[in-house]
Amino acid sequence: MDAWLNDPVTQSSLAPFLAGLVVTLALFKLRLGGLAAVAGFCATAWLIGELQFTPLTAKRKLMLLALAAPALGLLADFAWRPGRATAYVLGVVFAALSVWVFSSVLVQKPPVQAFITGGGIVLFVAWTVALTASLQGNSVRAGAAGLGLGLGAGFAALMAATASFAQLGMALGAASGAFLLVQMLLGRRIDAGLVFCLAVGVEGALVAAAALMLAKLGWIELAILAAVPLAARLPLPVRWPVWGQAILASLYTLACGGGAAAMAYLATR
Amino acid sequence: MKRIIVLGACALALPAFTFPITAAAQVETYNIDQYHTVPYWETDHLGFATLRGRFDRATGSFTIDRGAKAGTFDIVIQTASLNTGDTDRGTRPRTRDEHLRTSDFFNVAEFPTMTFKGNKVVFNGDDVASVEGNLTLLGVTRPVTLKMTRWKCGPDMRARATSAAATPSARSSARISA
Repeated sequence: MDAWLNDPVTQSSLAPFLAGLVVTLALFKLRLGGLAAVAGFCATAWLIGELQFTPLTAKRKLMLLALAAPALGLLADFAWRPGRATAYVLGVVFAALSVWVFSSVLVQKPPVQAFITGGGIVLFVAWTVALTASLQGNSVRAGAAGLGLGLGAGFAALMAATASFAQLGMALGAASGAFLLVQMLLGRRIDAGLVFCLAVGVEGALVAAAALMLAKLGWIELAILAAVPLAARLPLPVRWPVWGQAILASLYTLACGGGAAAMAYLATR
Repeated sequence: MKRIIVLGACALALPAFTFPITAAAQVETYNIDQYHTVPYWETDHLGFATLRGRFDRATGSFTIDRGAKAGTFDIVIQTASLNTGDTDRGTRPRTRDEHLRTSDFFNVAEFPTMTFKGNKVVFNGDDVASVEGNLTLLGVTRPVTLKMTRWKCGPDMRARATSAAATPSARSSARISA
């Protein structure tokens, strides 16, 4: 059993997929199926020993925000009806918090470089979180965005020499895949809500940003990943069944995510 | 992925010290010669092999009061200078050294240094036997005792005294393990 739980494939794909699947199936009738994203992410974080919060390093601050985002999303989903403006505001909020996450790295850089790097991260996080969170009304597109962003960030992080962030990214992708799969099997959409979309946006963006700040991911790969929530907005045939739309939307987002991973690989050559 | 790196062993050579500034004082202060100081570590690799690495840059000082049988030992190690000899990617996307520098292991972007602050020097007769202090790595501080397995102190042959009043030069070396 221990060997199985210590297997990286189990940790980064099977366990988060199962966690996402169980949570989606168990809670979608309560409009809480969107908790799948954070369930998968936390399952992997727990298995690889990253669910710790002291000392408060950049990775642990990231974990705190990864937990705070769906909690905030859940609150918003039930307290009021969040619209597009809420998504944009949350994008700005989490972008500002990303400075806090990486402050211990930024302070060690020369001021100009810290400003440029920090500014780039802020823009990336704001963009990705806002555009992903605003997919809350369309669970197929939201699930596809989570799949593409998670797997793209995960494989790109692997190429950038950080296994733990790679596993966390892949976990997000696997859990989002489970969320999509339930919709495909049911043949209907289930609520994603801000609880899902905010978790996907924050976790995906911060994992990618961490791979840049703490490993060797490049800005080009980050820019390609930023296109994932845009790719999730590409046209889908309205008459297609849910499973067909889910596959097509996933192809869109996986093309972006795969492009980022491919660029990360080429950068190592 | 299971972490396999621990700070298993640390050996330091401190060969080029300058002798005390005032001859009357009993406290001797030595600065670590970064070109002849090699902190190294080793770790078990999945039970199949022992992986050894070193840090190419370390600075610090060692003070010793032989009369009072006391002293301090501070060393700052630049974690980005780690070197396991694996610098060629070959067909891999990364070298082992590149991976060790990321947040999976030494996290050099966030923690560019590790430090040892020794506040208690234990003597065995006139020789230094061990140094007790705190090792700070990745933001975590733990008590560590360094055992001195070699201790040699004598005149530095590279330096020549220019006058009788000149501060004599000395050379000392130590091998320490944790």
